Amino acid sequence: MARSTAMEAERLTLPLLIFTFLTLAAASSTNQIQILNAERRIDLSSHIVKVFLTLKVENVGTTSASEILLAFPPSQVDQLALVKAQIAIGKKKKKSYVHLEVNPTELPDTPNGTKYFRISLLNPLSSGGTATLEVLYILTHVLEPFPAEISQSESQLVYFRDSALVLSPYHIKQQTTFIKTPSTKVESFTRVEPTKLAGRELKYGPYEDRPPYSFSPVIVHLENNSPFAVVEELLREVEISHWGNIQITEHYKLVHAGARHKGVFSRVDYQSRPSFNGVSSFKHLVASLPPRVHSVYYRDEIGNISSSHLRTDYRKSELEIEPRYPLFGGWKATFVIGYGLPLEDFLFESPDGKRYLNFSFGCPLAESVVNKLTIKVVLPEGSKEPSAVVPFPVEQRLETKYSYLDVVGRTVLVLEKKNVVPEHITPFQLIYTLIFPYASENAPEARFCNLVVIYVPVFDIDMLILPSLSEEGDSFTCLIMRN
Amino acid sequence: MVASSPTLGWSGRSLSLLDPTYASKYIPIIASVSEHQPPTWPSYFMDINVLAFLVPAGIIACFLPLSDASSFVVLYIVTSVYFSGVMVRLMLVLAPAACIMSGIALSEAFNVLTRSIKFQLPGSSGTSQADSGDTSMSSDGEQNDIAKTEKMDEKAKERPSKKNKKKEKEPVERASVRSRIEKKLLVLPLEASVIAIILLVLLGAFYVVHCVWAAAEAYSAPSIVLTSYSPGGGLHVFDDFREAYAWLSHNTEVDDKVASWWDYGYQTTAMANRTVIVDNNTWNNTHIATVGTAMSSPEKAAWEIFNSLDVKYVLVVFGGLFPSAHTQISLELKEMFVDTDGKGFDRVRRTEIGKKYFKLTHFEEVFTTHHWMVRIYKLKPPKNRIRGKTKKSKSKASSTSSSKRSGTEAFERDLAEAWSAKCNSVRKILLSLPI
Repeated sequence: MARSTAMEAERLTLPLLIFTFLTLAAASSTNQIQILNAERRIDLSSHIVKVFLTLKVENVGTTSASEILLAFPPSQVDQLALVKAQIAIGKKKKKSYVHLEVNPTELPDTPNGTKYFRISLLNPLSSGGTATLEVLYILTHVLEPFPAEISQSESQLVYFRDSALVLSPYHIKQQTTFIKTPSTKVESFTRVEPTKLAGRELKYGPYEDRPPYSFSPVIVHLENNSPFAVVEELLREVEISHWGNIQITEHYKLVHAGARHKGVFSRVDYQSRPSFNGVSSFKHLVASLPPRVHSVYYRDEIGNISSSHLRTDYRKSELEIEPRYPLFGGWKATFVIGYGLPLEDFLFESPDGKRYLNFSFGCPLAESVVNKLTIKVVLPEGSKEPSAVVPFPVEQRLETKYSYLDVVGRTVLVLEKKNVVPEHITPFQLIYTLIFPYASENAPEARFCNLVVIYVPVFDIDMLILPSLSEEGDSFTCLIMRN
Repeated sequence: MVASSPTLGWSGRSLSLLDPTYASKYIPIIASVSEHQPPTWPSYFMDINVLAFLVPAGIIACFLPLSDASSFVVLYIVTSVYFSGVMVRLMLVLAPAACIMSGIALSEAFNVLTRSIKFQLPGSSGTSQADSGDTSMSSDGEQNDIAKTEKMDEKAKERPSKKNKKKEKEPVERASVRSRIEKKLLVLPLEASVIAIILLVLLGAFYVVHCVWAAAEAYSAPSIVLTSYSPGGGLHVFDDFREAYAWLSHNTEVDDKVASWWDYGYQTTAMANRTVIVDNNTWNNTHIATVGTAMSSPEKAAWEIFNSLDVKYVLVVFGGLFPSAHTQISLELKEMFVDTDGKGFDRVRRTEIGKKYFKLTHFEEVFTTHHWMVRIYKLKPPKNRIRGKTKKSKSKASSTSSSKRSGTEAFERDLAEAWSAKCNSVRKILLSLPI
């Protein structure tokens, strides 16, 4: 009995030790780091909110720290599209930035359900050392239009809710927040002294010596007439053909996500005084496509939409599309954009014989948020083991598609992501192996040989051998011979 | 059952063929269709071109000789010409008859000309050459007196050719004599017949060119996407209809009903995916007339009618800013009127429309397309409270016993009276035009 309890105690000691170590580590990490200076710049000029956070951290603990935590209130975490961090190395002219990995993390004992992101430092910060981190995070759907419905001649006003103090698990010695507004018109803002509004910049701070997890909610009511172009669903189909072409088809469901339009739409006023009427509506959208794009089409369910312009360059192509009608708040439009690209720009062969496709993730429309993005890459027939290397988390799955002359079907790799912003336009790699390199489309000579092998003997038999077999010389064969 | 019907089984449209005034008196809806109007003279030339001149020649050719077949063709052409004169739509019936007739005329002409050439070619019959040379002079003399119009030439050629045919039936022993007489009567000079053949071939070629052009320009242009050429030479596309339908399909509820004139019924159903009140295949004339009444009534009455039909949106076609073939003048005068900034201009009558700068109280304009061609109005929900005495609102808008004294109501009454007067007068004028 005593031995069994002793053994149990022994079995328990190890997890207990680990647990205490972890809690101590967590506790110690929050006690270790102190933020000397936090400067936050919030850019509200478009409906995508970009926040640049510069943190000057100091390690006041005894052990070296290898990670820094970022905290976010739970309401903002759902709307976080992207979190990026980089560290400055070198001084003055030799300053360079190195990208750091940021991952979501969970911690026990979090007050009020705070969510965390962990920044992993390249070189652990020694005790007493300082480092400057630059963090960029992007929030979508945080600007709430108020009033929720506006008429044509009114300007769009939105609420922006945040905190005057930077939410952090560390003690912050000094912090300032700058909010950049798109125009000088700010209806109201919460005052948390010292606060100053000058032109297009609202300054909260500087605040001295705030304890960890200090939060001071503010609401800023400002005017924002930038186009609130939100693509509710985007389906991009990338079809790889080894004959030398990549065909891309994109299906958009576009909506204007700003204040809903109510009442009359007067085309008279809209056309005669555009600076005053329909300021929050948008007519044009610009899509950035790769260079050397061909066969671009822009249509919807009804048919072709003729209002579009394509400008090509040797570096990039720009497709400016105009939906059939200008989009006011709450109005929707759906359309399809399709284009072809040369294969050699995007498909490469790796040294181990596998092929990899280097393509850009994200939505080509400028300044637009995609609520749900699905990319389907259709690989040629006979491809095996597809895998994708994407710089941010996406959901992957496999499908099969049957297309021209397919026997076994083509493998389709489906990547899904929610809440995509233009900063997500980065290349990703898709690696696959081609099992039948000489029987699939990339060998036209092989196909020709196949045809020859089938047709030539048949021709020989019908035209040359059969007639000679017949001895009577009947009229049919005579006809053939004559023809 | 056929014999027991009041019109003995004839439908309204067929009766109006016999009595062109029937439709305008009893069934205005048939009279309003532009294809049911009598054609203009130029439209004959546009549709059948050169055949208009060859048909009379063909009729004469059919009379010499008059057989059963040729008399049938003559009857066919005469009746189809009469009916196409009543209703321009029946030009379709005239077309095959005209083709047959002109084919007969042309074949007879070619007969004579080629025979002339054949007889005058060296080596065809040596002795007859000299004879024909002598006789051709006299026959020339006969025929050179005749005017140079083609019709007359053909008549002249046909008379001898007919006589030639009759004489061929006689016994062969008089062939040589016969041939001399033939040659004397119908041989034309070689050069004249060669030139005549070339001219006839050119005529046929130009006819083909004209037909191809007419088919391309007048009968093939899709009327949903209109194009025009800008002064710089570029193509300007008026895609307003598809714009309006796309707007309807995306920005209205699925169950909303759209009222428009029946021309746009199928297009709205297919492209906007919304229920319409009348479409291209509505046989219920009363239903169409209801929509027509609503379109040409003043605001309040129109609202009542549309509300009873459970309509949410009204689609009208407006031609005030960009002229298009789609402006329906006869029954949709309202759309030329509805313009809140005073830009209404009636291109037909070249006058500005009075009563500008008014406000709509029962409808609100929810969408207008880029070139102003299609305008969509939404029915406003009824007011909760009626100003003035509670008992009424069933009487007509023009009734002066109404207790409403608000400025807009009086204004609307004036509008209604002016409108109905104008509508009726214009309707009468348009129906009397021979277009």
